Amino acid sequence: MSIAKSLAIRAITLIGVLFSVLVIVAITLGATGFSERMLTAIVNEEVRGLRQQLVQTIRDTNEIEQVIEERRVFLEESYGLNQSWYSRLPETIARVLILDLGEARTLKTGNGSRDVVDLIAERLPRTMFLMTTATVITALIGLSLGVKLATKVGSRLDRTVSILSATSNALPAWWAGIMFILLTYLILDKFGIRIFPPGGMYSTPPPETLIPRILDFTWHALLPIITMVLISAGSWIYVIRTMVMNTAQEDFVNLARAKGLPERKVMWSHILRVAAPPILTGLILSLTSSIGGAILTETVFNWPGMGRLYYDAILAVDESVMVALTFIFTLLYITARFILDLLYLIVDPRVRY
Amino acid sequence: MILSLLINILSSTTGKIGFFLLTFMFLISVFALLSNPLDFGTRIWNNPIVWSDNPKNAPPSWSVLFSQDAGPGHRVFDLYNPIQSVQYQNTFETTYSVDFDYNGNKPPTFISLSVENLKYWGTPPMLYVTVDRPDGKSLKIYHHVFKSPRVNQEVPINRYIDEPLRIYLSGDSSVANNMSDFLYTEFDVQMQADKIAGNIQNIIFGVPNIYEKDDLNGLEGRYKFTLLFVSKNKLDSVDHLRLVMGGSHYGLMGTDSIGRDLARGLIFGFPVALTIGLLTSILTTAIGTMAGILSGYSGGKTDIVIQRSCDILSNIPLLPLLLFLAFILGQKLWVVMVVMIAFGWPGLTIIIRSMVLQLRSGNLIEASISIGASKWYIMTRHIFPQIAPFVIAQMIFFTPAAILAEAGLSFLGLGDPSIPTWGQILDQGFRTGAVYIGYWWWVIPPGVLIVITALAFVLLALAMERVVDPRLRISGR
Repeated sequence: MSIAKSLAIRAITLIGVLFSVLVIVAITLGATGFSERMLTAIVNEEVRGLRQQLVQTIRDTNEIEQVIEERRVFLEESYGLNQSWYSRLPETIARVLILDLGEARTLKTGNGSRDVVDLIAERLPRTMFLMTTATVITALIGLSLGVKLATKVGSRLDRTVSILSATSNALPAWWAGIMFILLTYLILDKFGIRIFPPGGMYSTPPPETLIPRILDFTWHALLPIITMVLISAGSWIYVIRTMVMNTAQEDFVNLARAKGLPERKVMWSHILRVAAPPILTGLILSLTSSIGGAILTETVFNWPGMGRLYYDAILAVDESVMVALTFIFTLLYITARFILDLLYLIVDPRVRY
Repeated sequence: MILSLLINILSSTTGKIGFFLLTFMFLISVFALLSNPLDFGTRIWNNPIVWSDNPKNAPPSWSVLFSQDAGPGHRVFDLYNPIQSVQYQNTFETTYSVDFDYNGNKPPTFISLSVENLKYWGTPPMLYVTVDRPDGKSLKIYHHVFKSPRVNQEVPINRYIDEPLRIYLSGDSSVANNMSDFLYTEFDVQMQADKIAGNIQNIIFGVPNIYEKDDLNGLEGRYKFTLLFVSKNKLDSVDHLRLVMGGSHYGLMGTDSIGRDLARGLIFGFPVALTIGLLTSILTTAIGTMAGILSGYSGGKTDIVIQRSCDILSNIPLLPLLLFLAFILGQKLWVVMVVMIAFGWPGLTIIIRSMVLQLRSGNLIEASISIGASKWYIMTRHIFPQIAPFVIAQMIFFTPAAILAEAGLSFLGLGDPSIPTWGQILDQGFRTGAVYIGYWWWVIPPGVLIVITALAFVLLALAMERVVDPRLRISGR
């Protein structure tokens, strides 16, 4: 009962988040007249298609014009162009919600589709791959190093890592990425060795057969992942170290040691078990910044995921793609957040009672 | 309270470094604001005319200090006063000249000439450019007849007042013809037109190789450039002539692809970054603190409303939305700052509320209520002072976040074009492909400055954390 209730509260909050984002987006688009321009463009596009069709079947130009005019009025009404923008709001939001996202102006998928849904469907897995791989590696490093450091609090190593992790807060991942690309360029310039590709997801042309293709993909993914891990590992290590350290001073840990349990068991099943919820909280908080980080990192490394798509949409002045991406990024965040909340329920028994 | 806080901060190494960096940046900001107009972005930075005489994509001068074949430095000769004025019958000749040594190593990367504020009566004057070389030869480089007046235009005719006439001698076809003549008459060398066009500086500052006639060797010695202003009226004059010998390196921080002196942009970035960071964080913490105290102390419906909106607002992934809003609402710095404030305060409110809840149940507040203190009085006089150090720490902690967010936004091309920031310089460098062709001076310095600025605040926050750890603070009272 209690689990269901707290989950429901979380779910409602997160849906509220999604809804607020949509409302903000829709109001901005409406009040600035952008939505009107977008819809007019859609209507014009359809009307033009219709005209081309009619020209082949009907001879009489007057008749064509009449049919087209009727169609235009019908379309304008159905898109709500004859109403004010605020009365169109619910409709705009609904359209985004059911993923009726329209077509991109110039951006295309690998297959040449201009459908925004296709575009996102193509890019989403690539972003997910980059983010999840980087997060998993960061988590592993953070856990193993954080736990190790917690046993050596105050040592030289501990102080160094603490300072470094604080410093990494000031170091934006995208700039670190730029530095890595510059470094590989300088190495190439000096010694003629290309350690990492300058960007992209495959070499051009991409290898045909499966194994070289996978290797090529890995080679390209390596530098973005290394960058993301290097930048976020510091704060993970620090959070885990501090939480483990705080827990390690509690009485029940001393009791466990007094019972003669091996140190490994004390650490992993007593200390970490208790320290897990606050660690998880820290990770939840870092989630928003990692989503933003994806946009910048992908742009720097020319990784054709959703983040890069966002950048391309800015360059191509394509609002409908930007609306779709803002929505999908929020959706992505909410999903990840909800999964973490579920995990939180599992690791923290207090929430359940 | 502030003073004791400062002493505490300065007692730690990180605090000292942070404080020192911050002071340093403030001093540079003051310098930048005093030495530049406030509309630096539109008037100077984004005005190509200002930078047209600079070499493009030139590395900083200090970077070539130790290299063997360092190219020439950038030299600008401003000529205001003629060395002589003479009259031949009814023409008047005014001579300007400049001489300098050339080490025979590498000639200037380009030569250009600017004329400012020309005044004449009727017949347009002419300008001749010649050079006397160390080998005794004299070379006519260029001559220019200024534009005739329009029909019925009133004398005196003033030209090139706001925007100087700029002649890029290295790319001028008449200059190339003169070079061809010079080579043929003096050295009996015939060179192909396209070869001459790319070698104008090499010809002026060199002699053809004896064995390989198509090659040119640098000629060491003193060169004298003479600019002759010839007019038909005694009153005709030109205020300012400028001869530029383009360098292969430039200034403290090099230049970008349109010749902008990066050092100036970077320096102007200091006050901008600090303003963005501090203004955003001060307003964010102010709103966050007020909402937090109100929510925690009032309880009831106010509390619920504030907390629910906090839950939602603090969960919105900021960057995608910020990108969207900056794009739709126009690229204006204040829009970005307002959005950052609007979505930044809830995080703090949640923490402050929980602190206030603890304080509220304490004896001090209970006693105050019992002697009839008002709600407002308790919130401002009893609750706020207790959380103030924590609030200040949060303010410092939030500053780098704002600076980094703006930098990221600028990097994605959504910076405010009227105000240059470090992020924008980086963005332009990245878009031009600076990282792929190794123009490191264009991308490393702005990034380093962003990081150092953010770091100064992070270090200060780190030092404060020990002083104002909320748990210690509250349980200690």
